[in-house]
Amino acid sequence: MSLDKITNPLHIRHWLGDMEADYIYTLGIAGEHFFKEIKENGRIMGAKCPRCNVVIVPPRMYCEKCFAKLEEWVDVGTKGTIHTFTVATIDVDGKKLKEPVIFALVKFERGCGGLIHKIGETKTKEVKIGMNVEAVFKPSFERKASINDIKYFKPTE
Amino acid sequence: MSEVAIVGVGCVGFQPILPELSYKELMYEAAVKAYEDAGVDPRKDVDVFITCAEDYLEGFSIFDEFVPDQLGAVLRPLFTVSGDGLLGLANAYMLIKTGHFDTVVLEAHSKASDLLTLMDVIAFALDPVLNRPLGGHPYYVAGMEMNRYLHDTCATVEQCAQVVVKNRKNACGNPYAAYGANMTLDQVLCSDMYFYPLKKLEISTPADGCVVMVLASEKVAEKLTDKPVWVKGVGWCTETPNLETKDWSKSVDTRLAAEMAYKTAKIHNPRKEVDLAEVNDLFAYKELQHMEALKLCACGEAGKLTEEGVTARNGELPVNPSGGLLGMGYGLEASGMEKLLEVVLQLRSEAGRRQIRDAEIGLAHAWRGIPTTTGIVAVLSNNK
Repeated sequence: MSLDKITNPLHIRHWLGDMEADYIYTLGIAGEHFFKEIKENGRIMGAKCPRCNVVIVPPRMYCEKCFAKLEEWVDVGTKGTIHTFTVATIDVDGKKLKEPVIFALVKFERGCGGLIHKIGETKTKEVKIGMNVEAVFKPSFERKASINDIKYFKPTE
Repeated sequence: MSEVAIVGVGCVGFQPILPELSYKELMYEAAVKAYEDAGVDPRKDVDVFITCAEDYLEGFSIFDEFVPDQLGAVLRPLFTVSGDGLLGLANAYMLIKTGHFDTVVLEAHSKASDLLTLMDVIAFALDPVLNRPLGGHPYYVAGMEMNRYLHDTCATVEQCAQVVVKNRKNACGNPYAAYGANMTLDQVLCSDMYFYPLKKLEISTPADGCVVMVLASEKVAEKLTDKPVWVKGVGWCTETPNLETKDWSKSVDTRLAAEMAYKTAKIHNPRKEVDLAEVNDLFAYKELQHMEALKLCACGEAGKLTEEGVTARNGELPVNPSGGLLGMGYGLEASGMEKLLEVVLQLRSEAGRRQIRDAEIGLAHAWRGIPTTTGIVAVLSNNK
């Protein structure tokens, strides 16, 4: 038995391979509404369920509670509250980030659900559950109908 | 309907890395042990084989085609469950309950060390349009969940850290555990803050290993062994894949899975009736959250019980005497099988120095990890 154990998988005889695959992810009808409104009008939309009487954010074509088809799109505004958050200090490879990133779930007053996004223009120590925040959009010419058309959410005064 | 028993177990690992074996050889070795333990010949005595694996974790498309040979299952009925090993147990249980099958083999493994970019694969499980473009290490989701859990239950960071101390200590007595250690609360509390309030040492580390089990109907089980472990109930449930609408405080999927399993097993008071619980602890706070979902204690009580030593191996309600995933290592889709293995060994009185005296009813629980909301519960007993 060797005293030096192998701990790095790359040090054993192996074949290095990868699984490359490229996709497009179709937005669908609800996604189209959601991202078009973000891009063109800087608005955050939800879908109203007439049966459950809730507005689901981001919008969907169906209600996950009662399975009804949803066809009414509702503007939920750009202001919400932090339902929960974290401060990430490492990247996906496990390397320390130069600047920590705050991720949060922002809930809107009019909606159930919310948006997962980053929190900006604040210090990591100052973020709190329940804090009021608002969306900061990129300038309209830079928007691409992506979740990143919202730069981040920032605390409101 | 026939009762269902586990009549044989085989395990290889768990170790941080098993460099000498390919994934096929790993499965083969665990299978040989399980067949030997059960006293069955896979080429003659087994009706159905079930493997549990997820393509992306294996590095294959259509991985289920790659499993018959190493299990002795060529030209035999076989299928793969794309989920945790405990979900495979639910399938095996149902097959035997139909009365059409007497002997079923169940397998799940982890060759996590073959996967050089595990966190990228987990990040691929996030919604591609709403979440993935934000980037980041996918475990930020766990940090967010822990934060809300602590906020709502008033559990403390010290209580979460105590889970790590307990489980890694328990793992010292488990030859199947990769990460046994004697550590202090301060070591855990002072480890790097990766995803506030979740710290480095509160996150289970992946490990390589494989567990194979043989299940049988009552008629066959009683011929094969005098130590059958009976599957009294199984339950499973998925909440929602949407991070935006899921419950960030409670594990509602585990709650419903537990209610389903308890109903079949006729468990009315889990806290009193369950002698040991093997509960998913991929992150330390999850053990506490899952204990509450499993009705082993009231909401917000799990942290206090941990602090008081009630969940220690020699406590009144031992939780994760195996060392859990924090101590044994995170075995990907075999995570639930690590739990199940410990319950079987305990109920057979074969758990060595980890043995819990007079254990009669054990609970195994699995959660499929970030970002899933799937919980699976099995209740087992050494009494029919």
